[in-house]
Amino acid sequence: MKSKRIQNEAPGPARDRKKEFLHEMKKNKGLYLMCMPALIVLVMFCYIPFAGTWMAFTDFNVVDGIFGSKFVGFDNFKYFFSKSSMGWRVTYNTLFINFFGIILGLIVPISIAVFFNEIRSKVFKKLTQSFMFFPYFLSWVVVGAIIYGFFSTDVGVINNMLRSLGMEPIKWYAEPKYWKGIIIIASMWKWSGYSSIIYMAAMANFDGSLYEAAEVDGASKVQRILYLTVPMLKPTAVVLTLMSIGRIFYGDFGMIYGIVGNNPVLIDAVTVIDTYVYQTMRTLGFSYATAIGLFQSVMGLILVTIANRMAKKYNDGEGLF
Amino acid sequence: MRKSKLFSDHMVTLLAYLFIGLFGLLCLYPLVLTLSVSLSSEHEIVRHGYSAVPLKFTLNTYIYIFANSGMRILKSYGVTIFVTVVGTLGAMIITSMIAFALSIQSLKYRNIIAFLCNFTIVFSAGLIPWYVVCVNYYGLKNSILALILPSIFSVWNMFLMRTYFSSISPSLYEAAKIDGASYFRIYWRIAIPLSKTAVLTVGLMYALQYWNDWWNALIFINNKNLFPLQYYLYTILSNVNAISSGRIPSGAAAGITLPSETVKMAVTVITIGPIIFLYPFVQKYFVQGIMTGAVKE
Repeated sequence: MKSKRIQNEAPGPARDRKKEFLHEMKKNKGLYLMCMPALIVLVMFCYIPFAGTWMAFTDFNVVDGIFGSKFVGFDNFKYFFSKSSMGWRVTYNTLFINFFGIILGLIVPISIAVFFNEIRSKVFKKLTQSFMFFPYFLSWVVVGAIIYGFFSTDVGVINNMLRSLGMEPIKWYAEPKYWKGIIIIASMWKWSGYSSIIYMAAMANFDGSLYEAAEVDGASKVQRILYLTVPMLKPTAVVLTLMSIGRIFYGDFGMIYGIVGNNPVLIDAVTVIDTYVYQTMRTLGFSYATAIGLFQSVMGLILVTIANRMAKKYNDGEGLF
Repeated sequence: MRKSKLFSDHMVTLLAYLFIGLFGLLCLYPLVLTLSVSLSSEHEIVRHGYSAVPLKFTLNTYIYIFANSGMRILKSYGVTIFVTVVGTLGAMIITSMIAFALSIQSLKYRNIIAFLCNFTIVFSAGLIPWYVVCVNYYGLKNSILALILPSIFSVWNMFLMRTYFSSISPSLYEAAKIDGASYFRIYWRIAIPLSKTAVLTVGLMYALQYWNDWWNALIFINNKNLFPLQYYLYTILSNVNAISSGRIPSGAAAGITLPSETVKMAVTVITIGPIIFLYPFVQKYFVQGIMTGAVKE
């Protein structure tokens, strides 16, 4: 009865839209079918899990299931930021590592791109670019093995150097204070070659006549770099930085676990939100871990939205996504 | 005046060679170190520490590894190769189909579909709900599919491919349409052959992702027969890490046999293996992929 009334009263445009929809589906059936596998994957692995975020507001236990467990409101979030818990600590670690990662991720790749542009020898260029790009192809586990080669107490390269300089070797793997720095540098090492290619791509589009004009006017190389190249790289740098800022609440799980593994002494100093979620899932339960993940996602969404808006302002309406 | 300018120009060039040269070496050195330790004799490494030239060159470590845990490593190799091949093929089919569909201007709801894809980049449910759904509803715990399915579709790669497909002139499709070809046929017969570079680039990106993945194994796999290579290396190293912290009681540590220095590095080399050999040939496709992605921004 009720449904009939709604149907009768349905205004014209809505019915038209339905018709239009069916028509479009029929016309481009093939294309929509081709989208289906990807959409099914997204629904399975991205959209259905959203229902599970309800766990963050409950005291989850397996017997009662996700929706049967006791509702506890924001208790899990409160506990995360209470004094006894790691909340502030892991948030600080995440932001700290990412912040310095962003700074180094700006300076080093831009320097590489600028200097690379000044090199004439083709062979030298080809060789060095191959070297610099290679770390991108290594997994964090392999990077972890390499770092072990450098920092191992007995046989590591660094301690060897310290010994030959007559200094005391350091027990790196028992000293948490060094590892934020080591991780930031490792991330720079792995990504610089990759990011510098993005800047080089931007430089390939520069107007060569500007450089010629500057040369005719007697500008030195330093001046050309400072007043032409760097300002022209700025838009790319801004967009890339805004993108990283949008993701500043996300730690790199593989990086932390690949380098530090489950070393109980070091892990506290470098635990980021992502690795903390993984650890607490075993010790403090699913609800609490879900709450932390949700906190991270929401913060991430807020920051991405802000970054996107700033990019639009800066880029004449062209956002990040 | 003129002379001082030239001097500063020379300085810039010199600095450029120095900076790029040093950074290049910084990227190369660790790999040379790893390789050379794996080819050294264990005794010398323990005495003198890691060295970038092999100390007392020997292949004994590799022979030892394949004699003692050869089956283990070969099994892991098999898992990794299977996952990489099947995963990359599946991912390519799924990704290129949707990328092609979204590159067709006349597709009315393409923006809605693109939004559904984009949204997953900016907002996610987090690890735990994802894990619970995967384990409790899809039964991925200790299944080889757990190493393939979760990463079979990357929205980034899809947009990368769409950029390539969009550059194909629609008039080519129109002609085929008039001849009565379906969209799928156009995709398979026209779009894909015209985008060979794109297919290769994105295919290689997926292949690298699958080859280097150990995270899915960490989360889902505890059956040793299903350990991919990277995860096998991870288990070796994390034992070493935990023991070098000095906090694990010696009694517990005694139960774990520590692999020797050369073995660790040899397993690392075996893990990188194919990448080193393929790298010179595939490098340019990656550069191309990154550049195309960058242009989109």
